[in-house]
Amino acid sequence: MTRMKRRDLIRIAGALGVSAVLVGAGCGDAQPDEPTPAPTSAPPAPTATQAAVAAAPTQASPATIAPTQMPATAAAAATAPATVGPTISVGQAYLAVARGGDPATITQRAIAAVGGMERFVRSGANVIIKPNICVAYHTFEYGATTNPDVVAELVRLCLAAGAKRVRVMDTPFGGRAEEAYAVSGIAEAVKAAGGEMEIMSPVKYKDTPIPDGVDIKNWAVYQEIIEADLVINVPIAKHHSLARLTLGGKNFLGVARNPNQLHRNLGQRIADLVSLVRPELTVVDAIRTMMRNGPSGGNLDDVQKQDTIIASPDIVAADAYAATLFGLKGEDIGYVKAAAEMGLGRLDLANLKIEEISA
Amino acid sequence: MSWRWWRRIRRGVQWLALALYIYLLFAALQRRVAFPLADLFLRLDPLLAASSMLAARAWIPRLAVGLITVLVTLLLGRVWCGWICPLGTVLDLARARRAKPKQGGDRLAKARASVLRHDAAWRKVKYLLLVLLLVGALLSNLTLMVLDPITILTRTMTTAILPALNRAVTVVEGAMYGVRPLRGVVDVLERALRGPVLPVKQGVYYGSLLFAALFAGLLALNLVAHRFWCRYLCPLGGLLALLARFSLIRRRPARCTSCGACASTCDMEAIHPEQGYEADPAECTVCLDCLTACRPQRIAFRLQARPAPAQPYDPTRRQFLAALGASALGVTLLEGQASVALPHPRLIRPPGAQDERAFLQRCVRCSQCMKVCPTSGLQPCLDEAGWRGLGTPRLVPRLGHCDYSCHACGQVCPTGAIPPLSLPLKRQESLGHAYIDTNRCLPWADGIPCIVCEEMCPVPDKAIRLIEETVRGEDGQEVVLQKPHVLRDLCIGCGICEYRCPLEGEAAIRVRRA
Repeated sequence: MTRMKRRDLIRIAGALGVSAVLVGAGCGDAQPDEPTPAPTSAPPAPTATQAAVAAAPTQASPATIAPTQMPATAAAAATAPATVGPTISVGQAYLAVARGGDPATITQRAIAAVGGMERFVRSGANVIIKPNICVAYHTFEYGATTNPDVVAELVRLCLAAGAKRVRVMDTPFGGRAEEAYAVSGIAEAVKAAGGEMEIMSPVKYKDTPIPDGVDIKNWAVYQEIIEADLVINVPIAKHHSLARLTLGGKNFLGVARNPNQLHRNLGQRIADLVSLVRPELTVVDAIRTMMRNGPSGGNLDDVQKQDTIIASPDIVAADAYAATLFGLKGEDIGYVKAAAEMGLGRLDLANLKIEEISA
Repeated sequence: MSWRWWRRIRRGVQWLALALYIYLLFAALQRRVAFPLADLFLRLDPLLAASSMLAARAWIPRLAVGLITVLVTLLLGRVWCGWICPLGTVLDLARARRAKPKQGGDRLAKARASVLRHDAAWRKVKYLLLVLLLVGALLSNLTLMVLDPITILTRTMTTAILPALNRAVTVVEGAMYGVRPLRGVVDVLERALRGPVLPVKQGVYYGSLLFAALFAGLLALNLVAHRFWCRYLCPLGGLLALLARFSLIRRRPARCTSCGACASTCDMEAIHPEQGYEADPAECTVCLDCLTACRPQRIAFRLQARPAPAQPYDPTRRQFLAALGASALGVTLLEGQASVALPHPRLIRPPGAQDERAFLQRCVRCSQCMKVCPTSGLQPCLDEAGWRGLGTPRLVPRLGHCDYSCHACGQVCPTGAIPPLSLPLKRQESLGHAYIDTNRCLPWADGIPCIVCEEMCPVPDKAIRLIEETVRGEDGQEVVLQKPHVLRDLCIGCGICEYRCPLEGEAAIRVRRA
């Protein structure tokens, strides 16, 4: 018997490899997104005071330094030096509400009121903006996807504040990402503003421990979101049958793999996800709010024009305020309540410094 | 210009055609711009045109392009096979090296010798397959279109090769993404490939292993005889061979020295020494290799009006009649299956293709619809519609729903089996109806809140209503539950509810034929 030649060995190995891949394609998992739910027994939630203590070292900071946490207290925020834009001169609010007919203008005013984008963006920062682009069914007028002018204005502000790279992304559940990006008008607006749209790649999800998680301790999450210098959460406020409203917290389902699996114990699981991502800035688009038949909608009669932008470094406060636009309170929304209980933000709007702007 | 050049040009054209075919495979994923061209090769296929028009008893204008191939064949012979057919080119690329002289014990050599001995009988097969197919089509049965070369290639690409490619790239990129310095490379690759070339969603397909194995077998036949498929089996080749008998321009040796070099170089073994080294135009793919082999360059291509002489491997009248009878019998058997009378309850056809009879009279099993389906919910049938429906598309909502923002399948269907509906019209098409399995549904069966089906329902007024009900849980606590109900008049059977149902395994809401 003669020995096998190297060439033959390589050829056979190659053939085996190719057939292995083909077999893999054939007998592959029927559910392409491998479910990775890892619900664990719930340890007690950290109380608000614990969280406040933990957050204490992160003082509300001057405009040049970006805090990684939400400001510890409203008082601290109130005493922080005022950050002034070129034309707008206001103090740094805990939460800003801007109303007016031009989406870009009210976005700009709201951001200015919470300290200007310089407060959040380090020079050379890698920024990810997470709007809600849930479906490719309808244009933004239907209120299912975030207003493109708001997203584009945020891109512009980030770049002006010295960000190196600003990416915008979401995972639509209806339609392909490219199509949803295009139909929503966000792709065009973002490109014009100098940002880039990223199609959320299946290779970039990694199992990620959620140390503060109460119900879930581990989930496959989009790594770029975890590693970005700044995540700006830009939900559109709309109806949702289980959560009641889709706001900032709910918007983060789009960075997790198998979001449907998160629907069991939705409130707590969203809060757990928020504890992992801890977005530094939340901008709620309440310009066209979908009052019924969310989240995908499709009927203009369900859309109410409210021409409002809410901005805050505190996702819980932003969501709680947005809930009032629907005649609800923050406590009525499961995930807002759960996040507040975990100390991820504040529900007590009455005690916060809120700046209301008309533009 | 030297003859040698002709061979190079032919190879170039083959490469270009294959590249165009592969480009179109991917281009259709990007939609819209590529839609009118996505099925170009299928439209150039006159067998596809003839059979679907016969079966549907209708003139299908989109397939008129196939006349080009017919005319070219009537003029020059089987140029399609030698120059254009992407499957033929793949078979040329998979050329087995010339057999080394081996001992008589070699099984492959034996097979080769046996096939050569029965060459005449084998060459008939393609004609008989053609008769089977066309008579079937006349009886409105297109099952044998699974054997059309372009549908074979497209089916294999769609169900096996492209998903394998996506999987391989994703696995490699996933590994690279774990190594921090390589992330930039992953970024560049993803930006270039994800979306236009690689779907975000990894497709998985029923029968992919079967189709891959058949394709591998087809390539392996090259070991027995080069282009075994084209010579002996291909029904499209058979059709073109019939036409090529009347081709006007044919190869003609002049002042031949009978050196035999051309005959031994011919891939199709179409040159017969006993007929003065003329090539049988029905078997010749006009590859022009013989021109290079002929040192004195004495081969010319001349106009000929008379049809080619009969060959010993032409089917006899008796064989033709036998094939005709076999086809009728086969169709009767296929149509007489119980699974035809009672199709699989979950046999859900693509949007607009709800009339099963009309659909099967046009569907040529080309897999184009499955290729462009963004959710890869369209899957090849095995026996869900009876074996006559092999390779036809069905929606498997648990694998992927019919997306509310997509109408791609109808746009790329070459025969109109799936009508080319506009998006607003397609959104109104009902594919079936969703039913809730109250024994498994979380709020119905377990008292656990869940509304994912209602949330996902794309119909503006929601075809799933949530009705609140106060129930007592196992722990005695009262819970207000929202229980989903399907509104049959509104449900379009798109199946996103079934796809997204968070239960493991089978969904608690499932789409059935209306």
